[in-house]
Amino acid sequence: MSAPAMIEVAGVSKAYGGVQALSLCDLSVPEGSISGLIGPNGSGKTTLFNVITGYERAGDGEVRFNGRTITNSKPDRVFELGIGRTFQLTRIFARLSVLENVLVATQRSEGWLRGVLRLAGSASERRRAMELLDFVGLARLASDLAGTLSFGQRKLLELASLLVADPAVLLLDEPAGGVNPTLINQLADRIRELNRAGKTFLVVEHNMEFVMALCDRVTVLSQGQTLASGTPEQIRADPAVLDAYLGGDVAEAAAAEDAKKSRAKRGAPRSASAASGSAPLLTIDGVIAGYGGGDILRDVTIDVTEGGITCIVGPNGAGKSTLLATICGLLRPRRGEIRFRGELISGLSPGQVLARGISLVPQVHSLFPSMTVQENVEMGAFSIRDKALIAERLAAVQELFPIVVERAGEKAGSLSGGQQRLVEFARCLMLDPSLIILDEPSMGLDPNTRGIVFDTVAHMNTTGRTILLVEQNARAGLRLSSHGVVLENGTVRLTGTGREVLEHPEIEALYLGGSVEPVL
Amino acid sequence: MSEQPGTDPATAPGARPHAQPATRRRVLALLPAVVALAVAALFPLGANSNQGDMSIAVFVLIYMASVSAWNIFSGYSGYLALGHAVFFGSGAYAIALMARDWHVPAGWSTVALLPLCGVVAGLIAIPVGLVALRTRRHTFVVVTIAIFFIFQTLATNLAFTGGTGGIQLPYLSWLVSVYNERFYYIALVLVVLTVALSWAVRRSRFGLQLMAIRDDEDRARGMGVRTLRVKLSAFVLSAIPVGIAGGIYAYFLGSIYPAGSGSAFDPLFDIALALMGFLGGIGTISGPLLGALVLEALQEKLTQTFSTDGLYLIIYGALFLVVILLMPRGIVPTVAGRLRQWREQRSGRTPEPAAGVAGVAR
Repeated sequence: MSAPAMIEVAGVSKAYGGVQALSLCDLSVPEGSISGLIGPNGSGKTTLFNVITGYERAGDGEVRFNGRTITNSKPDRVFELGIGRTFQLTRIFARLSVLENVLVATQRSEGWLRGVLRLAGSASERRRAMELLDFVGLARLASDLAGTLSFGQRKLLELASLLVADPAVLLLDEPAGGVNPTLINQLADRIRELNRAGKTFLVVEHNMEFVMALCDRVTVLSQGQTLASGTPEQIRADPAVLDAYLGGDVAEAAAAEDAKKSRAKRGAPRSASAASGSAPLLTIDGVIAGYGGGDILRDVTIDVTEGGITCIVGPNGAGKSTLLATICGLLRPRRGEIRFRGELISGLSPGQVLARGISLVPQVHSLFPSMTVQENVEMGAFSIRDKALIAERLAAVQELFPIVVERAGEKAGSLSGGQQRLVEFARCLMLDPSLIILDEPSMGLDPNTRGIVFDTVAHMNTTGRTILLVEQNARAGLRLSSHGVVLENGTVRLTGTGREVLEHPEIEALYLGGSVEPVL
Repeated sequence: MSEQPGTDPATAPGARPHAQPATRRRVLALLPAVVALAVAALFPLGANSNQGDMSIAVFVLIYMASVSAWNIFSGYSGYLALGHAVFFGSGAYAIALMARDWHVPAGWSTVALLPLCGVVAGLIAIPVGLVALRTRRHTFVVVTIAIFFIFQTLATNLAFTGGTGGIQLPYLSWLVSVYNERFYYIALVLVVLTVALSWAVRRSRFGLQLMAIRDDEDRARGMGVRTLRVKLSAFVLSAIPVGIAGGIYAYFLGSIYPAGSGSAFDPLFDIALALMGFLGGIGTISGPLLGALVLEALQEKLTQTFSTDGLYLIIYGALFLVVILLMPRGIVPTVAGRLRQWREQRSGRTPEPAAGVAGVAR
């Protein structure tokens, strides 16, 4: 490295309970660089940001800024030293005006009497703030409430409100996430311009094209460790990086093969055969949806074939979870329609969608931790009044999931992550759904447990349930599935059978940036 | 210099500047305040014959000062404090103890002790704030309530407080005809000073920091705001006028007790401040004043009229519910929002979503 390191992270570890978010992580941000920090979901990127900026304490290791140790300094102190940061879910002061938002960071520490007596922002500070708002293109909105801004505008405001304090280095957490392409370009231009003026950047971003085009250096985190570090070209060519994103390794392959074998052993009909004739169980047609400011789904059309396993993969921020939320009625599409067995279900409430036989197992663990396993499973049937039916379903579920019997009286919170997943599956079967939607069922699980979870998914499928799966572990997910869908930037980029999608030559580029021709 | 958000004292936070010349706008904004002050100053002339109304007016002003001071902390920082009766009671006990132990003669010399009541309340607010402000949200609310009960217990049981019997203040031999009127003006001075303080905080950089904490404390911290220092300063600042108000209250009644209805340490005082704040519009300057005016005047008047049965409580509660249901953000922000929409429609601008709606959208 030519330039001296401005921020240096050496051997930092951080654990939450039993989960190791960072383990002996290293990072170096050279002065004057635009450095990128990438890695799959849950690899510890935001945790590392939090440790550097003092929002969380490091369990171990050291953080240095311009050579001096700042490990576990408080956030206000870190900011005063010259490290500014933005947040993944943009955080602005919603009930202050846009201008006032920028003025907050001009606050210098001073006696409170002077603070009370002085106006919020001197004339020169206001002028500077207006310049910055002009710089990010928000000057004409200066007196509007920040809460009225769109998602992308909030990102720009966040940037301007940091710049007013003139920090030496800016840590940006997903600056392009959920921002429309025009604004993304504007943002990249602004970052380059500031960089030329001497600012150093560290950028966490899932939009690979954005990262690869913008950054001088890229560091890859995987499971809390620094996996690789180098120029964008080096990172792109590193097979270990691709594996980290696609989750491919020997154990995975074995697990998926096992799952397939066990499915064959049970002699159930091969689900993919259903693809030939039967009508789709669920049709998603031209759906546009998003939260507040921007559209996350921009025209999504997918058919979910009855009896199959459909796996949706795609980079972080592609809109996978948003799509599931839209199907389940948690989010109303702005345009387009969703039909289940031909009936229009977009616009129904989550309860009504559930009553039609669509059951979601969410990404984040959703058991009631202080209730027993048995109680949790029974909660799944809480909308059913027929006691005999509940008993019948419970017996069926117990047969399928021995853990429900073995650990019946234990608190759900005491189970491991994988065991909790299985109980969640058991709970969702209590309603006898015809479509089961799984959001990242293997997330946070070790390879062995993952194998068991995937095996169970396959088994639920062979017993006649259609499965719609979102999976970060793209290789394992697609191997398991009859159909594959690749989502990127809120649109469908590829569809086909699981194998076709898995073996598509462009899927690699899709995860690590580069253009993909849609193949339909 | 057309951009001065937050300097407009009479409207909701974030009211947009209009397309009028700045000076004219500022005069117009001050006009309601001037009119309100003039009405308040002249009120005794009109009501003098009715001592009942005058006495209600004194209570109203005491509450106006208290809720306005409470709003400096709770309104601007978003921390719901339900323990300001600690400062009210401390102020009340402070004046009673000082008058008793220092043998201060009744009359204006006792009135001169009032600023010391504020000092006492402010000093007490420092340790209380240091403890309570380590917590946030619900925990903060519960901690402030708990601290209140500690102080109430202390007032009942400490040797020098007179126990449950309370303390009599020096007998004030002012004539009935001037008694209420003098207290009215004393309380009015406190209201004016408190509102001035609230206004100064609202437009200061200190106030900006407080409101940044209200919207997102962690991010404010990450932008260099010394959050604990700012919160504690606001807490102490808001305790001082409440302490003085407690002093006026004690002297006006002539005696104080540690517990029970109308006592110096009354949990209903805390509830009343919160209700007044929310009714008028928390975080605005005029809102809490309006809330105190409406609620306290109404309550006293209703109590006077229907004192024999509990009917006044039902009317009081029903009215509060209706207003909050119709104007969930409080009277002042809702009315200001409507006015703004109307003005924008008239001037042909595209109407924008009302402030609070956008604020809670995420």
